[in-house]
Amino acid sequence: MSTKYVITLCDGPSCMQKKSRELMAVVEREVEKYGFSGKVKIILSGCLGMCNKGPVMIVNPGYTIYGNVTERDIPLIIKAHFEKKLPVARLVIEEGHLYNRFYRIFGDVKFFGKQMRIALRNCGIIDPESIDDYLSVRGYEALAKVITEMKPEEVIAEVKNSGLRGRGGAGFPTGVKWELTAREKNDQKYLICNADEGDPGAFMDRSTIEGDPHTIIEGMAIGAYAIGSSRGIVYIRAEYPLAIKRLEKAINLARGEGFLGKNILDSGFSFDIEIKLGAGAFVCGEETALIHSIEGSRGMPRPRPPFPSVAGLFNKPTLINNVETWANIPVIILDGADWFSSIGTEKSKGTKVFALAGKIKNTGLVEVPMGITLRQIIYDIGDGIPNNKKFKAIQTGGPSGGCLPEKYLDTKIDYESLAEAGSIMGSGGMIIIDEDSCMVNIAKFFLEFTQNESCGKCTPCRGGTKRMLEILTRITQGQGEEGDIEKLERLGKMIKKSSLCGLGQSAPNPVLSTIKHFRIEYEEHINQKKCRAGVCQSLLSYSITDKCAGCSVCKKVCPAGAISGSLKNRHEIDKNKCVKCGICFDSCKFSAIKKH
Amino acid sequence: MLTPLEIIQKKRAEAINRIIGKGYLSKKRVYVGMATCEIAAGSKDVMEVFQSAIGNGLTDVYLSQKGCAGRCNFEPTVEVVEEGKIPVKYGKVTKDKALEIIERHLKKGEIVKEWVIE
Repeated sequence: MSTKYVITLCDGPSCMQKKSRELMAVVEREVEKYGFSGKVKIILSGCLGMCNKGPVMIVNPGYTIYGNVTERDIPLIIKAHFEKKLPVARLVIEEGHLYNRFYRIFGDVKFFGKQMRIALRNCGIIDPESIDDYLSVRGYEALAKVITEMKPEEVIAEVKNSGLRGRGGAGFPTGVKWELTAREKNDQKYLICNADEGDPGAFMDRSTIEGDPHTIIEGMAIGAYAIGSSRGIVYIRAEYPLAIKRLEKAINLARGEGFLGKNILDSGFSFDIEIKLGAGAFVCGEETALIHSIEGSRGMPRPRPPFPSVAGLFNKPTLINNVETWANIPVIILDGADWFSSIGTEKSKGTKVFALAGKIKNTGLVEVPMGITLRQIIYDIGDGIPNNKKFKAIQTGGPSGGCLPEKYLDTKIDYESLAEAGSIMGSGGMIIIDEDSCMVNIAKFFLEFTQNESCGKCTPCRGGTKRMLEILTRITQGQGEEGDIEKLERLGKMIKKSSLCGLGQSAPNPVLSTIKHFRIEYEEHINQKKCRAGVCQSLLSYSITDKCAGCSVCKKVCPAGAISGSLKNRHEIDKNKCVKCGICFDSCKFSAIKKH
Repeated sequence: MLTPLEIIQKKRAEAINRIIGKGYLSKKRVYVGMATCEIAAGSKDVMEVFQSAIGNGLTDVYLSQKGCAGRCNFEPTVEVVEEGKIPVKYGKVTKDKALEIIERHLKKGEIVKEWVIE
């Protein structure tokens, strides 16, 4: 039987207090009475953002939203939908929030149930190459509202009140940044959108630009109006050709409709956007390095103060924000700062987009309200670890972040709580690690990346990360020495304290957090020359079991001549000659070779 | 002189008209994900299958592309939306599966349950 109805009950903290769970039991009972149990899906979703009208219940198809639902109302609602196909008017609430549209085309409930798509509200719904589609979902209405009804100071106040914090990773209060830039008096101010997204495995910004480029254009135009800028630049990495193409098309279409350029919508306000391509440097995601790159210099950071809001691009006051931050602005203007700040935790408002990757069943892009726990993301949305493997750690924040083991799974997603746990929010990368991965190897992988991307300007980063990497490489090759862990910790702390920019300040994080939570793996690598996950090649040993059929294939392929034996007899590996390349393991057709 | 808000309302109404003119009110609406990851998984071929079906006379279907739906492990995805019904999301759609979906779901109204992402 296929699903005919989906009933969603809000299970956010506020509705839970008002007994959404008990309501679920009543709903199940009523549905049973009609014999519809197989055709109705009843789910508990995350906070639906209508807390003052809770408990909230949505019935699909038809997207009827009921508010203030009590147990006595449920039989009426069920009867009304199943029999009469008419909603119970008294309880229906009208909620025109922009993000709700995603629930309008509900399906694939397990994945989207606990999400709240605000920045990604149009991704996966509209055609990104059509400005008509964007207009039909109230696109550019926020810009029009701002120009018609609000003064620049009021726009800034609204963004401040919303509690929005920079989504690029640092989490600086966006409204405050706008205020600081607006305050400067200058004939030219710049607005920059940081679309460099250098984190390996992160694709939040790419998806936003490829799925809904207009929201960024609109957000930037609103920002420009608020701070008094007429020139905007999107700095986007060259490795995103489709995103660049769609953004260019969107900018041209927006100009054609009069949303960009001189005298926008006959208001006297002028603003235009140009695109600048990056050239493959991770460090250019750092704001001062990015600014230098746009100016034509090598992308290297500089000390702050002065901050870009005072003296940025070409020494003019510059407002630079991440793609996701810009994507949230139209929603804050249309749905209000009060509503936006009702979502999330006390210090981290709104939602965050995460790129779930690694050893998890449902990889993908998820947007969740702040305050949701890591466990809910991994097991409810991500559906857990595949192949029945055991969860080992979750890496948040990309190469600048840390690895958190199982005991931190109930940490709430929030800038402060993640930092307290020893990791960072970062730009939103989330990599799930299972028991088959070696933590030392993972730390080495991230450090290799950041070491390679170091611009070289300051010694702690340039030299320090190189030395840390040398030590880590030795450890993974079985040449770890007594005192290596302490050296790594000392070096790491020193690099963090003395590096010039964020790249250096956060490069040691993966190493330090894996030492903190998985010290035993380091000790095993160094003292026992053992890699428990079986990943570090040099620490493995191979032996032939009695499944051996004596076919001699392994003896023939062994590059070191380490295998001896005669035909039809069990062969043997000489551990002294073995170079641990693993070729014999791969070639054996009888699975007779064992890895230790 | 119209205020910017009034200009926007007008533009929005015109945009909706144009979309309806392209067939938005068709019985079935089909969306194919076309972001970089979807294209890498093969969604361009899938889109072409639907386009040629419409070119060959498939009626009452509105076809559109959409951005990243975020369902990375199920790409390419195709969504079929019908007014008054729960939308059906197909995952891991290949050229052959697309042809089946056209025959069974679009022409005969039969949902191909094995490929639906629940």
